[in-house]
Formats: sequence, structure tokens, C-alpha cells
Amino acid sequence: MTAGTQESRRTPAAPLPLDVDKLFAARLHAARVRPYLATALFALHTVESRRVPTMAVDRHWRCYVSPAFVAATPVEELAGVWVHEISHLLRDHHGRGDRVARERGLTGPGERLRMNIAADCEINDDVFGEGLARPEGAVDPRGLGLPEGELMEDYLRQFRLGPRTQDLAWLDCGSGADGLEREWDLGPEGAHGLSAQQQDAVRFRVAQGITGRPGDAPQGWQRWAEEAFHPPQAWRELLGAAVRSAASGPGTGQDYTYGRPSRRSAGVPGAVLPSLRRRPPRVTVIIDTSGSVSDAELGSALLEVAAISRSVGGRRDLVSVLSCDAAAGVAHPLCRAEGIALIGGGGTDLRSGFARALRARPRPDVVVVLTDGQTPWPAARPACRTVVGLFPRRHSRGSWSEDDPDYVPDSPPAWARTVEIGSSCG
Amino acid sequence: MPSYAPFATHDAPARPAEPATAHVPQLDVAGELLALLRDTGTEPRPDTQLEALTLAVAADLPVILWGEPGIGKTAALTQLAASLELPLTTVIASVHEPSDFSGLPIVGDDPAEQGVPMAPPDWAVRLVRAGRGLLFLDELSTAAPAVQAALLRLVLERRIGSLRLPPEVRIVAAANPRSSAADGWELSPPLANRFVHLQWAHDHEVVVRGLGGTWPRATLPRLSPDALPQAVEFARRAVCGLLSARPALVHRLPSNEARRGGPWPSPRTWDMTLSLTAFATAAGSSREVLSALVRGTVGDGPGLELLASLDRMDLPDPELLLADPASAVLPERGDLRQAALDGVVAAVRNRPERPRWDAAWELLVRALETGAPDLVVVPATTLASLRQEDWDVPAAIEQLAGVVSLSRRADRAAARTAAAAQARR
Repeated sequence: MTAGTQESRRTPAAPLPLDVDKLFAARLHAARVRPYLATALFALHTVESRRVPTMAVDRHWRCYVSPAFVAATPVEELAGVWVHEISHLLRDHHGRGDRVARERGLTGPGERLRMNIAADCEINDDVFGEGLARPEGAVDPRGLGLPEGELMEDYLRQFRLGPRTQDLAWLDCGSGADGLEREWDLGPEGAHGLSAQQQDAVRFRVAQGITGRPGDAPQGWQRWAEEAFHPPQAWRELLGAAVRSAASGPGTGQDYTYGRPSRRSAGVPGAVLPSLRRRPPRVTVIIDTSGSVSDAELGSALLEVAAISRSVGGRRDLVSVLSCDAAAGVAHPLCRAEGIALIGGGGTDLRSGFARALRARPRPDVVVVLTDGQTPWPAARPACRTVVGLFPRRHSRGSWSEDDPDYVPDSPPAWARTVEIGSSCG
Repeated sequence: MPSYAPFATHDAPARPAEPATAHVPQLDVAGELLALLRDTGTEPRPDTQLEALTLAVAADLPVILWGEPGIGKTAALTQLAASLELPLTTVIASVHEPSDFSGLPIVGDDPAEQGVPMAPPDWAVRLVRAGRGLLFLDELSTAAPAVQAALLRLVLERRIGSLRLPPEVRIVAAANPRSSAADGWELSPPLANRFVHLQWAHDHEVVVRGLGGTWPRATLPRLSPDALPQAVEFARRAVCGLLSARPALVHRLPSNEARRGGPWPSPRTWDMTLSLTAFATAAGSSREVLSALVRGTVGDGPGLELLASLDRMDLPDPELLLADPASAVLPERGDLRQAALDGVVAAVRNRPERPRWDAAWELLVRALETGAPDLVVVPATTLASLRQEDWDVPAAIEQLAGVVSLSRRADRAAARTAAAAQARR
């Protein structure tokens, strides 16, 4: 740190001119150590503002900079702040903040401050290091006693404003971080803002840069890049859609049939018109009861499938449940959700489960498999629609891989519709 | 009302007043209240969704609107029909039978000899007689599969029984997203590929203002007749330029569950994209509108790539910049400006000649004077490396001294960061 910055730290009240060279040297450094963020960094329009405590962004991709903050902060830390601020915008923290506020009924500046802190936690746990210095006073989840690697929405549930966050009250990354308009914001009419489409274009190019060379970016950014334009959908909806479409597709459920003449036939003597008939679908749920799937996961998925089958018109007696480990258990009609005996544990072989489900007479129209995928699959397509609810096992996180790190299970076959269960938003 | 009773016999004017209210039929009063409630104003407001829908309808492509029930899809269609001056026919698919769309068989005297004609329903006959109109197929997703199959023939082949809809009839379908559709119908990939998918969402602000009495009135795009040839040329250049550089984008089936039933790229949808780009260009629509249309036709990824390549097409031509550096206008946005400067340096590299090299330096100085200095660093370094033995250093380079010190400053920051990281270990 130079003598000049030391001096300015002591006299912050004096109106300083904005040290443009320092600010842009920091941006250059940031773009050099994070080349995949360069497009986004350069797309930001900088605005000098004396009302901003440090640096802040708005939802139109402007960056407000306090001259006193630039003077008081070394170049390498400024670079960290640049990357931090651009992360808020790339990860759409303002839009997500608004959504969370609507969903959970959060109002007031205190809640927005919590959103800003939660968003900072999401960014700061893996954005620094590797050539980028951590700015002084950066919030991280560990400082709040929270686990690392989670999303803003998750952090938001886990802390309150209190003694631990006392010194964070000055923290303010602007409306781009939490969605609350600030007094210094230039608003949508102000110059040099980016439209929603332009923001998407920049996000897209950054995401492409990351997925193109995945080795360069930390895991948090890779996850962001994968999901930037395809946010994970709630598994309940996907599973519901898959089961419903399997159960109500042609041949099952409700459709027209020529087996009985239509009531309209009276008007058209001599012609046979189809009539609407309803045949409730038979659904068999095969549950993987091997040790690797937890009871809580199973319970929630099973309740979901039962509710969906009922909503498509399946009667309770037409939904049966089969627990399956290495040898398939006995099929039970689903009478009460809590009354299903889940026998098993240990290894799994779903092939026996399929064989048993298809042996039943009458045959099921739909087979729903709830599994973690650590199993061999039938070689040929079974004679019914198949939906797989897959509990994802991340190789990096799960403990199962420690015994045999090289073991990679077969992924569900292409003839089954696969829905990942239990991803972040549920 | 006992207090009025004493006056009733004496006070003549009061008497007719009271029975007047008592004798007005309640429904008339209700009618008055309804009239007051319906007395709302409108205000102009740009509406991206409606503009996109209008362009897709004008381009005669089948559109499917995805939106939660009760969100104003029908209201939007009414407005669209009024602005295109087309009569609107709404058919609620879920209350019909398949034979209403494939035609009702009419058995004649000698079916074996003359065949059984399929009689169309009355709304179709009226539509054909009118010769023009907007056909709105609502609730597509809650109809039974056989009805949907019959409807898709109507949408894609424009046939109802033995009747063929005239080309002046435009068709729009609406469906609820599968998360809220009771019967969970979804488009199979081949069908999804035939539609322009537009997401219909409500704008909170618009709804609140509308309920307060002021609904938005969208100004709809108008195609300008003079711009048509340029629009076609522009659209062809954009789509062909992208697809010749990225052949993998031409055809890509959706692979994962989340993307099923949505738009995906294929030669058919690229053809639709080409028309939509031309229409949006001829109407002078914003990039927002084009983005909704393109992403709704070929999907998010390929759509965004097309939009990104349009952005690059908007960049100034490096040769023009080199030809006249003194009056060059560089893009204001930093990332585009750097892309333009990179383009200039690349052009010099392709044909290294002394005057071009000098002109490029002049451009860099201009960029430095009009914008952020860090953008100039990389192009300046690259340009310096292109110098040939007998070329003198141009005077302009002195003005770029600030850039060099900026670059050194960033280097020092990098070195300090590395040293600090080393020390922590």
C-alpha cells in the first residue's frame, strides 16, 4: 500500500477526485485473473457517486463508485470488489431477491440487508483466492457460522440480524444485490443501463466461457454456468408431469373409444362415433430400499407419487408399492401412505423389481421407480411407461464413494423418463 | 322508514323521489354499477409479449401461449384481433369432441359409392365464409389426447374435416404450463418443434394499475414497406452467418426432462426464426421482442447465440474504422468497445501494412480519450507485437503511456496478491 492511500484513509471527509486509473487498473487485474468474467466486467458502466459507502451496483448494470473508497483501498482488493459486484449481477441476485421477498413475504430494509448478506455469502465462499485478494471485511458464511457452498435462498433461512451481523450493517452492494432501490440509483431511464436482453446476452457469453473451459473456473461458477439459462425446476413439478403424462397418455387413462357408441350417434344414423371412456391407470411404484436412500427422501417422494396418481384419477387400490433391494419384496396395494412396509437395505438389483412388477395381473400402465441409481437396469424396454425418480448422488459430496471411488453406476436407460429428486428448490 | 311517513302526504316533491328509487328494477341499478366499474381508461405502454405475439401472428406461424390460467391470455387476443382488424373466434378445446375438429361423418344414401363426407362445425363454416379471422384455440392442454390430436391437424394443416381454412385466417393456441395443467399434457418434441412458444406472464404493476382504472394500450408494431428487402437480407445474413460458423446448432433434440415440450433447434425452427427476424426488423422492434421470439422458436441457448451474433453484426466494420480513424465512433459499452478494437487489431494482423498499423494506433488513442483505459491494454499489446522491423514508432504511442503504467499497476497488484498468498501458506 502506498503512502498516499494511508493519508487518505486518515482524512476521508475531504472530497477526493475519483482515481480513475486506480479503479481501472483494478478492473484490468480482475479481468486478467478471471478471464471468463471479462465480458461482464467491461460491460459495467461506472458512475462516480459520493453517496455510496463503497461500491454498489444497480439492476441496470451500472456500478456506483465512491472516490473515498477507491482512494482508501489497495488495487488488489479493489479487483476483488469488482469481481464481487459483477457476481451479484451475473447471478441475478436482485431478481432472485424480489422473488424470495414475494414468496416468503419479506418486507423492509432489514430483510433486504439480510438478502444482501446472504447473497454475499453465496459469492464470497469461492470467488477469492487464485490470484484474487479478498477485500477487507468481506462477509463469508464461516464468519456467520454457516456451511459453505449454498445458495442465497438457503442462507436466508439460516441466520437473523443480531450481534454476529452487527458490523455488517454498513454493508451495501446496491439494488443489484438485493432488489431494493437506493437513493443514488439512476433508475431505468438513466443513461448506459443494460436492458434485460443485453444482460442475458452478457450472462450467456460468460456462461459459455466457463463451460467452454471448465477447468479454469471454481465449482460455484461452473454450477452457475450450467444453470444460468436452465434453472433447476422443482422436482415435484417434473415428477408430476412425467407421471401424469405417462398415466394419461394414449392407451391409459381417459380417451375416446369405439368400444361403445357415442351419445351423439343418434344424430348420425349409420355412423359409429367414438365415446369418451375412462380407464383409471394402474401405477406401480418400485422403491429402492437399499441402504443408500434415506427414509426422509423416500417418504417425500412416495407421498408425491401417491398424490399425483390420485389426481390423475387413479384409485387407491390401483396404486401398488413394491420395495426392492437385491430381491424384490411383495407388492402391496397402497392403502395408507404410512402403512407401507419398506423391507430391505443393502445392495439393489432393480431388475428383479421390474420383473415382479410386470408379472402382476393386470399389468401396470406405469411403473415409477424411486432410486439412487446405484443399480443394474433391465436390458430391454419393459412393456409399460417408466418414470425414474432419481436421488442424485454427487461424487464429491456423498460418503458412499469413499469405499470404492472408481465405481460409476449405470445411469438410467434412455427409455425411462428421469427426474432428479431433491435438488435445491423443492 | 317511519320518519318519512308524516311528510309523505304533505310534501309532494318528496313523494315521487322515494318511489323512484323503489321502482327502479334492481338489475338496472346493478347495470349502472357495472357500467361505472367498466369505465376504465387506457394508457400507452410498450408490451413486449403482445408485440412478439403480433409479429408471430403476422408471420403466419403457429403460436402457442404458455401461461397460468386467468392471466389475461384471452384479453390479449381480443386486443390483438382488434388491432389486426380480424374477427376473433374462440374455441375452447376442452369442451369439444374430436369429431368437432376432424368433422362429423354424414351418412348419405350410398356410402359405399359416394363415401362419407366429414361435415365441419358451424364456427368453421362461418370462419371460411368470412375469409379472414383470428382463431383462438384455448385450453389446449386440458383437452383429451384424441381431441388434441385432431386439433393439431387443424393448427398445422389448417383442415377441419373436408374444409380448408383460408390463408387469411390466423391461428393461436393457448395452454397451461404442465405444472398447473390438470391432465399433464405436454408437447412431444416433434410437435413442440412446430410452434413458436411464447411465455405469457402478468406484470404486477400493470395489473394493479389496471384494477385501479387504467389499463395499458400497447402500440403494436407496423411493418414498414420500404424496409422489407433490407429486413430479408439482414435476417438471412444473421441466421446463415451463425449456422455456417456453428453447424452443431442446426439440429439438436432436447435431451433432459426440464426442456421437454419446449422449443428446440431444427432446420424447421431456424426457418421460422429467419422469418421472425425479418418481421421484427421490418417492424423496427426492439431486441427484447426479437429475443422472446427467437428464444421461443429455437430455444434459449441457440437463440442467445443468434442474438449475440447480431450484437457482433452491429459492431462497426474494422475496415471502415481504419479508413477514417479521426471520425470513428466506437461503441459506448465497454465489452462491445473492446470487441470492436480487437476486430481492428485482427484486421491489421490479416493485412499488415504500415498505414493501417498507424491508423490502428490512432484509433486506440481515440478509444483512450473517450472511454475506460483498461479496455485499450490488450489491443495495444497485440498491436505493438505486430510491428515490423522497418516501421517507426508512431507519435501516437506517447499518448498511450498511461495505458502502459495502468498495465504495470495491474501487474504489481497481481504480484502482491501472489506474494500474500505465498506468505499465508
